[in-house]
Amino acid sequence: MDGINLNALSENATRLGMRIQETIAEHTRDLSLTRGGSSLFDMADDKAKNITKQLESSSDREKLDAMKRLIALISKNRPVSSYFPAVVKNVASPNLELRKLVYIYLLRCAPSEPDLALLSINTFQRDLADPSPLIRAMALRVLSGIRVPTVATIVLMAVRKSAADPSPYVRKAAALAVMKVYKLDQAHHTALLDIMTTLLRDRSPLSLGTAVLALDTIAPSRLDLLHVHFRRLCRALPDIDAWGQVDVLRVLVRYARTMLPKPVPASEKQGEEVDKDLKLLLACAEPLFMNNNPAVVLAVARAFYYLAPPSMLSKIAAPLLRLLSVSREVERVALVYLLVVARSHPVLFITSHNRLLVRGDDAEQVKRTKICVLLALCTVDNHQTLLREFVDYAQDTDDSVVGDAVHAIGRIASLVPSSTPQCLTALMGMINSKQDIIVSNAVLVLKSLVQNQLLTPSSASTMTLATSLSSQHALLTSSILSLTPSISTSLSAAPLSSTSPESTPAAQAPLSIIAQLARRIDDIRHPHARACVLWLVGQYGSVPGTGTTVEGVADWAPDVLRKAAKSFNTEVCFNPPRNSPAYVKSYQASLVKLQTLTLAAKLILLAPTHRTLVLLARHVLTLARYDEDWDVRDRARMLGALLVGAVAGVLSSNDEEGIGENWNKEEQAGRLGVVLRREQVTRVLFEGKTGTIEEEQAAGKCFCLLIFDTARFVCDYEL
Amino acid sequence: MAIDGLIILDPAGRPIIQSSYTTYPAAYPLLHIEALNNALAKAPREGSVDPVIYVGELSCSSACCHVEVGEMRFIATISGDADPLIAFAFLHAFIEILHDYFGTVSVATLKDNFDIVYQLLEETLDSSGHPLTTSPNALSDIVLSPSLISKLLASVSPATPGVPSARQGGYGAFASPIPWRKAGVRHNHNEILFDVVEEMRGIVGKNGTTLVSNVFGKIESNAKLSGTPDLTLTFTNANVMTECAFHPCVRLQKWTRDNALSFVPPEGRFVLADYQYRPPQSAVISNVPIPLSLKANMDMGEFGGTFALTLTSRLIKVMENLELKFYLGEDATSAQCTLSSAGSSVGSVGSADGSWAFDMRTKTLRWEILNMRSSGSWILRGSWTSKIKAPRPAHAFQIRFEIPSYSFSSLKVDQLRLSSETYKMYKGVRMRSKGSIEWRW
Repeated sequence: MDGINLNALSENATRLGMRIQETIAEHTRDLSLTRGGSSLFDMADDKAKNITKQLESSSDREKLDAMKRLIALISKNRPVSSYFPAVVKNVASPNLELRKLVYIYLLRCAPSEPDLALLSINTFQRDLADPSPLIRAMALRVLSGIRVPTVATIVLMAVRKSAADPSPYVRKAAALAVMKVYKLDQAHHTALLDIMTTLLRDRSPLSLGTAVLALDTIAPSRLDLLHVHFRRLCRALPDIDAWGQVDVLRVLVRYARTMLPKPVPASEKQGEEVDKDLKLLLACAEPLFMNNNPAVVLAVARAFYYLAPPSMLSKIAAPLLRLLSVSREVERVALVYLLVVARSHPVLFITSHNRLLVRGDDAEQVKRTKICVLLALCTVDNHQTLLREFVDYAQDTDDSVVGDAVHAIGRIASLVPSSTPQCLTALMGMINSKQDIIVSNAVLVLKSLVQNQLLTPSSASTMTLATSLSSQHALLTSSILSLTPSISTSLSAAPLSSTSPESTPAAQAPLSIIAQLARRIDDIRHPHARACVLWLVGQYGSVPGTGTTVEGVADWAPDVLRKAAKSFNTEVCFNPPRNSPAYVKSYQASLVKLQTLTLAAKLILLAPTHRTLVLLARHVLTLARYDEDWDVRDRARMLGALLVGAVAGVLSSNDEEGIGENWNKEEQAGRLGVVLRREQVTRVLFEGKTGTIEEEQAAGKCFCLLIFDTARFVCDYEL
Repeated sequence: MAIDGLIILDPAGRPIIQSSYTTYPAAYPLLHIEALNNALAKAPREGSVDPVIYVGELSCSSACCHVEVGEMRFIATISGDADPLIAFAFLHAFIEILHDYFGTVSVATLKDNFDIVYQLLEETLDSSGHPLTTSPNALSDIVLSPSLISKLLASVSPATPGVPSARQGGYGAFASPIPWRKAGVRHNHNEILFDVVEEMRGIVGKNGTTLVSNVFGKIESNAKLSGTPDLTLTFTNANVMTECAFHPCVRLQKWTRDNALSFVPPEGRFVLADYQYRPPQSAVISNVPIPLSLKANMDMGEFGGTFALTLTSRLIKVMENLELKFYLGEDATSAQCTLSSAGSSVGSVGSADGSWAFDMRTKTLRWEILNMRSSGSWILRGSWTSKIKAPRPAHAFQIRFEIPSYSFSSLKVDQLRLSSETYKMYKGVRMRSKGSIEWRW
């Protein structure tokens, strides 16, 4: 396209010859300036004063110049409506170039200056009879752009006239105007429908697409109007322009879903049964998969997704994958659609999962969507490959991608249970990473994996905790509810000490993972992850019988409490997200403090007579009492009150005077008079959570909520 | 289901041209511009900005779809249940049109021709948000291109009434029965040229195995043919093309039936077909061998790290403009490298055709080799420093290269037949390949 309009050249050659002499002086100026658009564009505002004078001059050159200045002003968002009268005078200019600029001005200003536009409405009506289809269409566009309900009738007349225009270009404009009149004044609905029947009969593919679009806009429920046109529309599909194809396909899909029988899938007795009109639509749409406009490809894919019988559904896979290589932007959008299809029909994409691997230079959103798609395609056969990929993605430079990748590993473990050991190994490896973001995400995922393993009786041999607890569930519930001490006598020892994790020798048995996490508590600095580990240690830190330093408590647990107590006042929001408000930071720090309190409460409940542990717990409770966060203070108060009957000396001891004493008095003054026994407190603190099911959508978001479950449980019973 | 409008931003993020947002509040386009500029300012690395940015400030939810052209940004704003894919398809079509009209799309050309851009905008996007005419051939009849001759003709139009000069464009437009082709084109010299451009996209895993490598091809054409030429293009090995997409001018049935491209081309430049290369011996798409290899010795330490990269070509042809990019992480502060080469053909150490640079803004190390011959290897040794103790570089290198006069698929044109016209035409086919490989470590 060098733009040399040879056609126009030959037409004008003779005229050019005649006029070239009188105008040559002006044009040499033009040539030497190489258009000079830039200077017009950046002109100073004070030059705008001349515009009216220029518009009223007799020279087309001056007028053109003035119009360009006006459009430059529009571009800079300056008010230009004051020039309206001067501009409208030129609407009948014989110079096409000038007239087009006038119309551009009008298309801009008419909607915002309806009163002024109204004054010149006759001019536009006259232009509707112009020999040039371009001018006729533009006049109609300006007319329909004037948003004054009173002119709706006039516009309607113009639309009716244009709907029968010999040029499809004008008929297309008429269809667009139908939508605008409808938006302006819905009272003309019947008249517009009347025009629509004319427009839908159109034979030219140029205007047909817009006609269907207009019908869809003004009467979406009148699909019955398409009965007579359906087959013709199907056959015309390949000839309609790309944008029209998108609209027509959308309407036809809706038509088929409303009006045509659903295909019957093949059964043993008979083959697949597909309505012949539906077959026609699919057959006409299928070649459009080869269109180079991504919007069309997607429209066809949509048609097949909703309409095609199962045997034909596979046709959408390759075209959708092709869209991924069109451009970065198209890839971003197409991936989301692909994800929808992949979730409902993973089998379509399983063989081509390597087309969906994440690249380091993808946009962040693209990476995250790809991880979702890959997860949707995870099967027993390819989980090894995917696991390797996710381990690679965990080293990404985008934090959110790292999070998604690590959580994806957790998902693989739950999707393909046999892969759990591998996933655990991968996650344990990440705990040693130097990147805190990887460590913290790995901890979060490990926590839910471990918890699920411990809570699913079938999955692990070590699983006795939940079963033993649930066997006593009925009794416990009633005892708590009635809060009568007599019932609890039926309970023997504390339920937890009766649980016996017969540890499996496997290196990655859930409890050994917790032990490893507990030993690394100093390196785990992300508040969520830290809180997670503290909770895990408290929840699963019990061991049956003797043989450990502290009876009933695993060897690794008390030291965690010691470290947590030591750093209690220095808990800070680690690596806060940029620009996060102050409350987020304090919330994150509080998260760890709250879990430290819970851990302390649980440990002394397991070993109520161990002096060091009780002292540690009391230290933590005292620290919390003076914390700046009222949540932490409340939790300390609540746990203290809860434990007062179960653990001797949690708030004060007989041999030590001091703060504890005062607190005790205070507490006693405000207490309601109910003191829980140790068994009841155990039930309150240790149970109250069922297994966590990691949602695919909200992976990683539910954890902080789950941590608080115990607390909520306690609160309920305190009231 | 509609595009609200289109905005073009200059490199500084200020709007140059924008369509009329008359039915929207005045702040509407500004909010979208601001949302984009904010997102760009916040982006941690190049290319990480989401192409679709959600704008929730207004009562109706809307989004800002943007494409980068040169240094400029083209924005299409959409709202409601509009499909962003249509917005992007439209943006790409519009940018294509601008290329067609002005040759290059830059701030200068757009400012020079802003009146034409506005005319194009009105013709391609209706105020209701639906794309209208986007075929360059049809548009060229409606909006005259800025070349000097057509400019001259337009302004020469007579001041005297009597001769209605509106005819000059008014009747030329829409006279063609073929929507993508102008009617009555005449050339003294008829020619059609095809450029086959193939791009390899691949990922190589940590252990050096190719995880995926695909080749995507494009047949770009430039036609200067008179009248209504009906062409048939056949290939000797059409079976290497799969997952094709075609310009609307291609008769799809004919392709499906006998793998021949039958079409009446538009005037000027257009993309005739897109395809993916399928190695003929395999039924499914399998990996295509990657024409180079990279050996990376990485050593991550505290506050930085060292690396030694060795690149070797596996191709007989010369690779050009090879570029390796390595993102060193947000906190990288500097990098220092030495270049060397080894092998039979290259004698001098640190030969002139290699260079490296560290871009502080993008935190990316870039290594360029202008001409990479078939034998020998190129080595880059160096180290970088970082502000943080545990540096966090990307775990992959992005490698780009070009191979002139080469095609991965060895697609071969058999013949090009012209029917319906009698003249002789000049035909030409050129091959070109490029690659974009991610090499993980």
